Amino acid sequence: MIVNIFEGREGHIQQKGESPLPLACSNESLAGAVSQRACVYSGARVVLNPLTDALHLVHGPIGCASYTWDIRGSCTSGPRLYRSSFSTDMKELDVIFGGEKRLLGAIRELEERYRPPAIFVYSTCIVGVIGDDLQAVCKAASEELGVPVLPVQSEGFRGNKNEGYKAACNALFQLIGSKDYAPRSPYTINLLGEYNVAGDLWRVKPYFEEMGIEVLASLTGDGRVEDIRRAHLARLNLVQCSGSMTYLARKLEERYGTPHRRISFFGLQDMASALRTTAEFFAVPEMTARTEEIIQRELWRVEPQIDMIRQRVEGRRAAIYMGGAAKAVSLVRAFRELGVEVVIIGTQTGDRDDYRKIGIMVREGTVIIDDANPLELRELLQKQKADLLVAGVKERFLAYKLRIAFCDFNHDRTTEFEGFDGMVNFAREVDATINSPVWKLPLKRESPLTGREEMICGGEDVSEPCCG
Amino acid sequence: MSQSRAAVNPCAMCMPLGSVLVFRGIEGCMPLFHGSQGCSTYMRLYLAHHFREPVDIASSALSEKAAVYGGAANLKTGLKNVIRGYGPRAVGVSTTCLAETIGDDVERTIREFLQEEPDGRDIPIIPVSTPSYAHSHEEGYSAALLATVRALAQPSKQSCKLNLLVGSIVSPSDVRNLKRLLRDMSAEFILLPDISQTFDLPLTGDLPRVPAGGTPLEEIRDSANSRASITVGACARLPGAGEYLEEEFGVPHHALPLPIGLQFTDMLMARLEEVVGLPLPESYEQDRGRLLDAIVDAHKLLAHVKTAVYGDSEMVLGILKFMVELGMSPRVVATGTRSRAFATLAGEMAPQAAVLDAVDFSDIGREISARDVELMVGPFTGRQIAAAQNIPLLRVGFPNHDRFGASRQLLLGYQGAAGLVDAMANALLEHRERIPVKQQAPAPSPPGR
Repeated sequence: MIVNIFEGREGHIQQKGESPLPLACSNESLAGAVSQRACVYSGARVVLNPLTDALHLVHGPIGCASYTWDIRGSCTSGPRLYRSSFSTDMKELDVIFGGEKRLLGAIRELEERYRPPAIFVYSTCIVGVIGDDLQAVCKAASEELGVPVLPVQSEGFRGNKNEGYKAACNALFQLIGSKDYAPRSPYTINLLGEYNVAGDLWRVKPYFEEMGIEVLASLTGDGRVEDIRRAHLARLNLVQCSGSMTYLARKLEERYGTPHRRISFFGLQDMASALRTTAEFFAVPEMTARTEEIIQRELWRVEPQIDMIRQRVEGRRAAIYMGGAAKAVSLVRAFRELGVEVVIIGTQTGDRDDYRKIGIMVREGTVIIDDANPLELRELLQKQKADLLVAGVKERFLAYKLRIAFCDFNHDRTTEFEGFDGMVNFAREVDATINSPVWKLPLKRESPLTGREEMICGGEDVSEPCCG
Repeated sequence: MSQSRAAVNPCAMCMPLGSVLVFRGIEGCMPLFHGSQGCSTYMRLYLAHHFREPVDIASSALSEKAAVYGGAANLKTGLKNVIRGYGPRAVGVSTTCLAETIGDDVERTIREFLQEEPDGRDIPIIPVSTPSYAHSHEEGYSAALLATVRALAQPSKQSCKLNLLVGSIVSPSDVRNLKRLLRDMSAEFILLPDISQTFDLPLTGDLPRVPAGGTPLEEIRDSANSRASITVGACARLPGAGEYLEEEFGVPHHALPLPIGLQFTDMLMARLEEVVGLPLPESYEQDRGRLLDAIVDAHKLLAHVKTAVYGDSEMVLGILKFMVELGMSPRVVATGTRSRAFATLAGEMAPQAAVLDAVDFSDIGREISARDVELMVGPFTGRQIAAAQNIPLLRVGFPNHDRFGASRQLLLGYQGAAGLVDAMANALLEHRERIPVKQQAPAPSPPGR
C-alpha cells in the first residue's frame, strides 16, 4: 500500500492497477485520524444556507452558529437574510430542562423581527440527546405564525454530511408544491445542487434563458422561498451536485413524476453536454438548433483562451480532494481539457458507485482515497509528486507548507468556475498558482560563510563577532 | 445584556475552540475533541482561516451508537490513533457539548487507557471540561490553561524563573515580542502557552506532524518552582492557572491586564522590573518615547472620535484604556463573553459608553447606530455592521478571516500601541477620502467671484 498510517484505513486507499478490490467507504470516520469530514448539521447547512431570503435558525449552543456564519461563499442578487446566523444559544439550564420553550420563543421573536417567508430550524448534537421535539415545536410555530417553519433533523453525530443532505432535502421537499404558478415558457426546469458560489449560477442561467427555457427554481443558490414552493411545476430537474440533491430529485420524481438528469456545469465538455442533455429532453428542433449555436459560439470564443493556458500547464500533476464525488469527477474531465494529469483523487463522502466511476476514469497509478486525513494527504502529495492540489481551505495550508500549488474549489473561491467563462477562470487560476515564481524562491539564503569556517571570527564560537 | 431569546450573529465562539489555542501552545501537544466529527472540522476551518496555517485537531468521532452507549471506546481508539499517527509528546482532550450531555467520564477513560496501552504511558494526557453550552471560547482558553498546569506542574527544586502566563488570546507575533521583552530583561522565564511558532510556522518546505515550538513540557512541570507568576490578560476573568500555582505551590501571582496602550504596558514593565530586579533596557524607554510621539502626532485627528470596541473581553479592556488615553470617545464597549467584572471595569473607564457583555452583533449594531459611532475596532465579524452603517472598521484580534496578517498583528507593548495609533488614524483618514467630494462640506468659492 502506498501509505499506511492508521490501522483500519487500508481499504480506503488504493492505487489504480494495484488491487482489484472495490474501495472501502463508510459513514463512520476513524477516531483520532483527523478526518476532513464535518457532521450531519454541516451537510444540512451547506445545502440550505444559500436560500437567500430564508431565516436559518440553529437550535443548539452558540458554537454551531458561530462557525457557519456567512461562510458559504454563495452570492445573492437580492435578499441578504441568509448572511446572518441565528441561534437559540442553548445554555446549561436548557440542557437540563429541555430547550423547546426557548426554541419556540426564538422562532416567535425572529419571525416578528424579520418577517421571513420561511424559517429553517436545525437541530444540533445535544438537541438529539436531550430529546427536544423539533417537529412538534416547528409545527406549532408554523400554525401559530402562518409561515412555514421547517424542521431540519441534523443532530451532528447521526452520521456524516450525507445524512445532513437528506435532512435538508426533506425540509425542501416539504416546501415544494405549496404554491401555484403559471410558467412563462412551456419549457421549465429546476437546477438542483447549484449553490451559486462566487456567482456560478449567473454564468449558467442565461444560456437556458437563451434556449427558451424558464428556470423555475434554483436549489438553492441565489434561491428564494417563493421559487422553491413552485418547483414541482418544472418539467425537468437538472441535478448538479448529485451527492446532495439526487435524493430530492428522486422524491420529486416519485411524487410529481418529474424526471431528472445528472449534469455538471464545470468544464467545457460538461457544460456543453449539460445544455445538450436539456435540449434533448425537450426535443424541440428549434431549441436543439439554438443550443448547438450557443455551444459553437461559446466554444469558439473561449477555446483559444483555454488553449493558451493549456500550453502553460500541460503535463503537470494534480491532486483532487473534494467533499462530494460529482465535483471530483467533473474536475478529472476539466483537467483533461487542460492536459493536466490527475495523480490523486479523493472525496469525503463518495459512495461505492462514485468510486467505481472514478476508478474507470483515471489513469493507472492514480491514487484513489476515501475520507482522507492530513497525514495521508501529505504523504500522498509527496509520493505522487503533485504540482497542484484542488481542495478546500483546510487543505490549502497543508499544500502551501509543502510548496505545492493550490486551487480552492470550495466555499472560499471568489471567481466563478462554472459555465464556459468559468472554465477560463479556473484555467487562469491553475496557471497563476502552478506557474508562480514563489515556488522557485530559494528556501535557504546563500551565505558567504557557508563552508568557510575560517571566515567566522573566533573559530568555533560563532557568537563572537569580528572586531578588527 | 441581551433581552433576546435568540442570538443573532454571535460575538463569541464555544469553549473547545479556546482550549485549542492553549494546547497548541505546548510543545509537541496534539488537541483532541471528545465529540462528534464536525466540531473538530469546524474549528480547524475557523482557526485555519484566521492563522492561515494547517491546523490538525483530532476527534473521537462520536456516532449514534456512542451517544447511546457512551463514548469511552471511541475516545480510547482516538487516543491510540493520535499517538500512533502523530507521535505527540502530549495530548489535550477537550470535551464538547455532546460528550458532556451523554455524561462521559473522560478522566476515568483516560486512566483506563493508560493502563491498557503501554505506549501512552509517557505521554501526558490533559483533560479539560469544555461544554459549549456553559461558557464562551474565552473561558475555554482559561480552563485549558488551568488544566494544563494542574496536570503537569510539580514541585521540585526552587528556581529563579518567572512564569509569564498569557491569559487571553493574542497573536503569535505578540507572543514573540513578549518573549523578546523577557530575554531583553535578562529574565529566566517560562511562557505559557507559546503559540509564537506553532500558529505561525516559517516555510521550510517540510511539514512536521506536530508543529515545532510551544512551551516545553519540562518547563510547565517546573512552573511550580518559579519565583513568581505574572498573568497578562487577567483583568476580567475568574481565577485560573496563576492563582492555582500560588495556592498549591506558593508561587506569588500578579494578575495584570493585557499590555495594550501606554499605561497598561507601563504596569507590566514596572512589575517585571520589580520581580526581576533589573531596570527596563533603554531601547524600551526609546520605544515608549516614540509611542508618546506617535500619540501626540495623531492626537487632534483622534480627539473626541466616537468609537466602538468589541471582541474578547481582555483585548477590549486594553484597547478601551488606550482610547481613553488618546482622548477618543468610546461609545460602545462590548464582548460576547458573560462577565460582570468586564462590565464594571469598562464602565469605570468609559462612564459615557454603552457597556455590553454576553451580547451578539445584533445588540452591538443597534448600540452603534444609536450612538453615532465613527470608528469600529474589533474582529472581522463586525464587518456587516461596518458596511451597513458606513463606518470604518479596524480589524483587530481574533477572529480575522477576511484580511491577511492576523498572525503578524502586533498589539501589545509600546510598539504594538504605536502601530494601533497609526492604524486607527489611517482608518479614519482613508474613510474620509473615500467619501465623494459632493458629500463633503461645500468647497470655498473660486477666487475672483
